[in-house]
Amino acid sequence: MENILEVKNLHVSFDTHAGEVQAVRGVNFELKKGETLAIVGESGSGKSVTTKAIMRLIPSSSGSIKEGEILFAGKDLTKLSDSEMDQIRGKEISMIFQDPMTSLNPTMTIGKQIMEPLRKHRKLSKVEAKKKAIELLHLVGLPQPEARFKQYPHQFSGGQRQRIVIAIALACNPKILIADEPTTALDVTIQAQILELMKDLQQKMETSIIFITHDLGVVANVADRVAVMYGGQIVEIGTVDEIFYDPRHPYTWGLLASMPSMEIDQNEELKAIPGTPPDLLRPPKGDAFALRSEYALKIDFEYEPPVYKVSDTHLVKSWLLHPEAPEVEPPEIVKQRIRLMPGNYKEPLLVKGV
Amino acid sequence: MLRYIIRRIVYMLVTMFVIATVTFFLMKLLPGSPLHNQEKLSPDQQKIILEKYGLNDPLPVQYVRYMGNLVKGDLGVSFQYNNRPVSTMIAERIGPSAVLGFQAVVFGTIVGILLGIIAALKYNTIVDYGATTIAVLGISIPSFVFAGFLQYFLAVKFPIFPVADWGGFKYTVLPSLALSVPVIATVARFMRTELLEILSSDYIMLARAKGVGKRDIILKHALRNALIPIITLLGPMIVNIITGSLVIENIFGIPGLGDQFVRSIMTNDFGMIMGTTLFYSALFIFMVFVVDILYGVIDPRIRLTGGKKS
Amino acid sequence: MNADRLPDLNHLSDELFVPVERKEEQLETIERPSLNNWQDAWIRLKGNKGAVVGLILIILISVMAIIGPSLSGHTYKEQNVAHAKLPPKIPVLEKISWLPFNGKDQDGFDMYKAKNVKEYYWFGTDELGRDLWTRTWYGTRISIYIGILAAAIDLLIGVLYGGISGFYGGKVDDIMQRISEVLMGIPQLIIVILFILVIQPGIMSITLAMVITGWVNMARIVRGQILKLKNQEFVLASRTLGASNARLIVKHLIPNIVGQIVITTMFTVPNAIFTEAFLSFIGLGIRPPEASLGSLVNDGFKSLQTNPYMLIIPSVIISLLILSFNLLADGLRDALDPKMRK
Repeated sequence: MENILEVKNLHVSFDTHAGEVQAVRGVNFELKKGETLAIVGESGSGKSVTTKAIMRLIPSSSGSIKEGEILFAGKDLTKLSDSEMDQIRGKEISMIFQDPMTSLNPTMTIGKQIMEPLRKHRKLSKVEAKKKAIELLHLVGLPQPEARFKQYPHQFSGGQRQRIVIAIALACNPKILIADEPTTALDVTIQAQILELMKDLQQKMETSIIFITHDLGVVANVADRVAVMYGGQIVEIGTVDEIFYDPRHPYTWGLLASMPSMEIDQNEELKAIPGTPPDLLRPPKGDAFALRSEYALKIDFEYEPPVYKVSDTHLVKSWLLHPEAPEVEPPEIVKQRIRLMPGNYKEPLLVKGV
Repeated sequence: MLRYIIRRIVYMLVTMFVIATVTFFLMKLLPGSPLHNQEKLSPDQQKIILEKYGLNDPLPVQYVRYMGNLVKGDLGVSFQYNNRPVSTMIAERIGPSAVLGFQAVVFGTIVGILLGIIAALKYNTIVDYGATTIAVLGISIPSFVFAGFLQYFLAVKFPIFPVADWGGFKYTVLPSLALSVPVIATVARFMRTELLEILSSDYIMLARAKGVGKRDIILKHALRNALIPIITLLGPMIVNIITGSLVIENIFGIPGLGDQFVRSIMTNDFGMIMGTTLFYSALFIFMVFVVDILYGVIDPRIRLTGGKKS
Repeated sequence: MNADRLPDLNHLSDELFVPVERKEEQLETIERPSLNNWQDAWIRLKGNKGAVVGLILIILISVMAIIGPSLSGHTYKEQNVAHAKLPPKIPVLEKISWLPFNGKDQDGFDMYKAKNVKEYYWFGTDELGRDLWTRTWYGTRISIYIGILAAAIDLLIGVLYGGISGFYGGKVDDIMQRISEVLMGIPQLIIVILFILVIQPGIMSITLAMVITGWVNMARIVRGQILKLKNQEFVLASRTLGASNARLIVKHLIPNIVGQIVITTMFTVPNAIFTEAFLSFIGLGIRPPEASLGSLVNDGFKSLQTNPYMLIIPSVIISLLILSFNLLADGLRDALDPKMRK
């Protein structure tokens, strides 16, 4: 299965009063056709910035891509001009945001807002675009699209608005859809509906999805693969099974251990990860998570950890997989879930050149 | 929507009522009457005149008559000009003021919008600082100072325009320009702030994510949303123009309402002062009312929810 | 990029793989020293060039207003008709011919020689021979005084009104709001003019007239802030902990409102100065022999064609005064706006 998107060694920084904030510090991943990759992490981990960088939506007055390549359809997106990117945004790669209340232009009818990408990218006439737009609204489950075509965003509920936003994003059948916490601002029941809708549409249109979230429950629901981000880097990436049932990075353990679930033994405590996210103005030397990890080794404070391959699909950035590292046990809650993964190598393999 | 309009009408009427009442009572406190310049009249003649204007009646009766007159458009008489009706005098003089005011508003708003757009688009560059500085200067330098400079440099030192008087288009240039300065400044600052806020909003980001080009973002999305609130500036702008006109017409010798108002102040023609004041207030209040309605019509959030903006 | 990112992985010393004790206290130290609101605002204010320029100008002008009149040896009202209408002449600067301080009038005529005057009048004299340097700075004093007085009273009434309205809410708020809404609908200048007509012009009456409707804006802002804060959770939290009304007001509400109040006041001052100048201009303001910047500008207009300096000097000073307050107020507003925090 070929890669539809490859991100290599991405570095993104912001210029602030106080200095340069390194929001993304060397991110690598691929996205395959038709799959859903979830990116999880806390606020400030760099997940949004990474995807905004892919879309080249970071204003040059705030920050820039310092290094790296983003390969899509044979081009390096970091090297394209703004107008060239305009051809890709909304057409090949689309994005939806977290807050449906503010994502739509309040003084433009929703019909017009859906027709916009259709007319621009597909060069449809007004009549054709309107027809297609109504079709799309049907597709996303909006009741009575013909009647509501001329209505304004404030006349719809949050869930309905998010459906409209999805319709806009999928209007031109993009190859990739980036969803930045699309359900965080919605009620739980609506959340479930929107997730179902997205999975359904993905099946129909074979879109690849990058799904940003901090909610592991959502991840379990939609993802094929998961990337865990911390301090501007991907610390672990693997299939959803691998991440849930054979996690190797202490941060991933922390996330899983703090997630309430029906299956855990009632007497086990939920563990919160103590401390606060690192200051990316002066990124810590070595492993960014070391200060908050109970498994930190001296070397974690000296050198950045290398990347190890646990299986074909499972990579971990941690010193704990070095042959000389002591054996450690993940927390109880995580241990209880561990299953043997058939694809694992006998020994973790060092990935060179990263 | 209807409820919204009705509410606004009520406010308008209440405010006008209050100000008319205040004016009435102030009038009674001020010295002066239609007898002002006619001390040479005999007591009998004085009595006749006072009777004619009902000034011998008890206060409540006078009040009711006064209110009644107002509704009919009778604003009283001038004490200085042989008891000519104020409304007639206003009608005679409103022409030049209206022309200058109109020119100032149109010119000022257009220039202000352009200046604001440029400043916002080139945010934090020299162009932005320059435009913002011009705007701050515009609201800081008092209009009469600016008028003075204009008059001195463009009419006295380098006689490009006439120094004063009224006659044709070229007589309107300097005064309109002077009047338009605060307009330009206010509109520019407002436009810049609005546009900057809009440009950093989520829906603009979404539009960019749709592939909408920079030019269309500004023209089709940002500008429309930024221009709508500009209407709200019209109310205070009218006040600005009115107060500006008092000074500008004086300096440039324009035979307008402002000039007459100033003269009536200097000559203590209280009849004229009160009448004109009422007229100005009514104009302002009405303008605010019109702006409110317009805004309600243009902004779909108000239009379609009957006045409850989220 | 971490320069020591890729050590030779086969030759790492054993002791590097020793676990490190995690210290709980270390964890809760927040990495970057957090600036409190005021410090952050001060830094941003200092960085705003406009605000700094404004502040310096205000200080300069104020200093001059205080000491200026005493420097010249004349009072603001003494007349000397023999010395009337002399253009400005400043020693040392008079040597620079293109500066207007050489005692020569429009046509290059040296008035001082013609009238046989030995004294130097730095800003020249007016048609009654009064020293304009003294009058200008004296007038500046009056203008600033009126500006600050009006702003102070506005502040007092406005904060009280808006505070009570916002804090108590309910019926009280409703009524108070209706009243101020109607007041807002009336053009301020009209009321001011009307009142001055009734109470004759003078410093106090002008100030009072300006204050009659001026406080409405401050009240609106204060009320808005209080309403916003009242509903925030930290107030609820305090109440739950048993804080009394007074404590709430003093420790919680006021610090958060002070910023807005300062900003609004900063904008009221130039407004008041402008209004006074305007009133003087139409003859309702300060009457001679008293002087204010506005009345001086008014007088200056009469001699625009012959002695422009009488107009230009007070015009420049009043413009600078209003400008500097506006710049400072703008800068304060930007500095205290939480959204601009990077």
